Amino acid sequence: MSGSMAGAYTVLYQGSLVILAVALLLCLIRAIRGPQIADRIIAINMMGTLTIISIAILAFLLEEGYLMDIAMIYTMLSFLAVVLLTKIYMGVYRQKHAGSDRPETAREHGEKEAGQHE
Amino acid sequence: MARKNEHYEESLLGRLDRWTQSGESGLDQRMMDDLASPPPPAASLPQKELERRMDRDDRMKHHMLLQEQATYDRIRTWGSVRGSRFFRRAYIVLAVLFCLALIAVLLRATATLPPFGNPDNPMHNDVARRYIEDGMEETGAVNLVAGMILDYRAFDTLGESNVLFTAVCAVLILLRISKEHSDATAMLELEADDRMYEPQDDLILQTMVRLLVPLILLFGIYVILNGHISPGGGFSGGAVMGAGLILYLNAFGFEKAERFFTFRTFQTVSVISLSFYALSKSYSFFTGANHLPSIIQTGIPGKIFSAGLIPYLNIAVGLVVCCTMYALYTLFRKGDL
Amino acid sequence: MSDIIRFLLSALFTLAGLFVTITSVLGVFRFRYALNRIHAAALLDTLGILFMLLGIIIALGFQVASLKAVILVVFLWMTSPVASHLIGRLQLTTDEHLSEHMEIESGDMLEEIKKEG
Repeated sequence: MSGSMAGAYTVLYQGSLVILAVALLLCLIRAIRGPQIADRIIAINMMGTLTIISIAILAFLLEEGYLMDIAMIYTMLSFLAVVLLTKIYMGVYRQKHAGSDRPETAREHGEKEAGQHE
Repeated sequence: MARKNEHYEESLLGRLDRWTQSGESGLDQRMMDDLASPPPPAASLPQKELERRMDRDDRMKHHMLLQEQATYDRIRTWGSVRGSRFFRRAYIVLAVLFCLALIAVLLRATATLPPFGNPDNPMHNDVARRYIEDGMEETGAVNLVAGMILDYRAFDTLGESNVLFTAVCAVLILLRISKEHSDATAMLELEADDRMYEPQDDLILQTMVRLLVPLILLFGIYVILNGHISPGGGFSGGAVMGAGLILYLNAFGFEKAERFFTFRTFQTVSVISLSFYALSKSYSFFTGANHLPSIIQTGIPGKIFSAGLIPYLNIAVGLVVCCTMYALYTLFRKGDL
Repeated sequence: MSDIIRFLLSALFTLAGLFVTITSVLGVFRFRYALNRIHAAALLDTLGILFMLLGIIIALGFQVASLKAVILVVFLWMTSPVASHLIGRLQLTTDEHLSEHMEIESGDMLEEIKKEG
């Protein structure tokens, strides 16, 4: 970032960091208010992506190249979080409602699956 | 895998458990058998009628027997109802008192420390200056943190890896139901019941995971190998690799994951890595803080095969952490590894 | 001179990326149903990060860090549609009042959706 345009780069990227921080806060509000589970998972995913962009900008501003590795780790972890959360919540929901409204479909669904799958 | 204690019910802990849970206990049963010689006569006739039929001595003995039984009933129900309530309340009170005592002791100990930033503090010795200034030449690691935890203070990192290993051993003892014990298949079926309702074999997820998991594992290996050049090292690289394996397990299922990661794999990899680390750094038990001169050269700082023993120790720690994360996940989900 | 051109290009891409980010966050707030919000969230994951990281790649020049940024964009493009698919599937299985928000073609389809997910 050293060079003749260092000041301009600083203004541009520090301003964008401020805007990203405000967007992060708004996503957090949606995560708290969202009436359903899917809203919250969407908001958490978005917060992860905003954090990745912030870390990439910081890697440029501070001239440390290895901060990109941290952004990659964050990408992987947020994806893993979405996969696990959706799977577990779908299982919990269907298990809770299996006996109540549709007993015959739940029983044949249970007998169809081998039960050894994850 | 823990063995069951067949006589737990009659042992001291078993009886204590049953007493606190306010149930029937064997102690009461034995006391009752001891006192049980005269059967209670009030089973057939009401009390007044019985007393009118007895003469004076018998009436007194009968009265004393009834009093004994009343006292005994009070003792027995006190043990099961009010005793356990007393025990629970006393436990809470004693726990609070113990925590307060511990807080008082710790605060008193902290108050005797010298003030922060005083230049005469014992903390301001030569150690930090030596690490920062001579660290790169002595250890050969550009990343000074890796040089410290794996060269200057490698003995402490051995303790940390042991803590990971102990945690997995504890979870294995508590939770593992292996398929070799035939009476455990019923419990495995129950565990599989939990996962019956989850979505399985999602084609989109499987297609992408087939592409992504090699990338994630490769990235984890990159982070482990570059531990002494850029931030990373064994612990974070092992966590990334563990995350990759968990993703594979989620997309494809336990049967496919067990084709390459079984309990024997976990045993072999963990024990070999931890033994390698222990053999290379446990001379500190005997020599104290002094290093032995190392056979491996430190090399040019900045290349991968420099910094002496640090890359190999990073690999060992990374493998232990990866196996630990995967093992903990499958033990909590399925109960088997 | 090339410095100024590099700065102008990078600033153009960064401002476009900020515009896309603000639009996406605004969309997540204004839409009223979860499946609509996925459309707005996907904007950020694909176009938002492309523009912002293109700005950074141009500003950094030809370094290892810019190569890592390219790998980051490709990785995120591979994982983001899968995440949207899984969230949509979750919403479809767990929604109680599905027929209020969309047309379902026949009566059996609702049962099938809830059974298979």
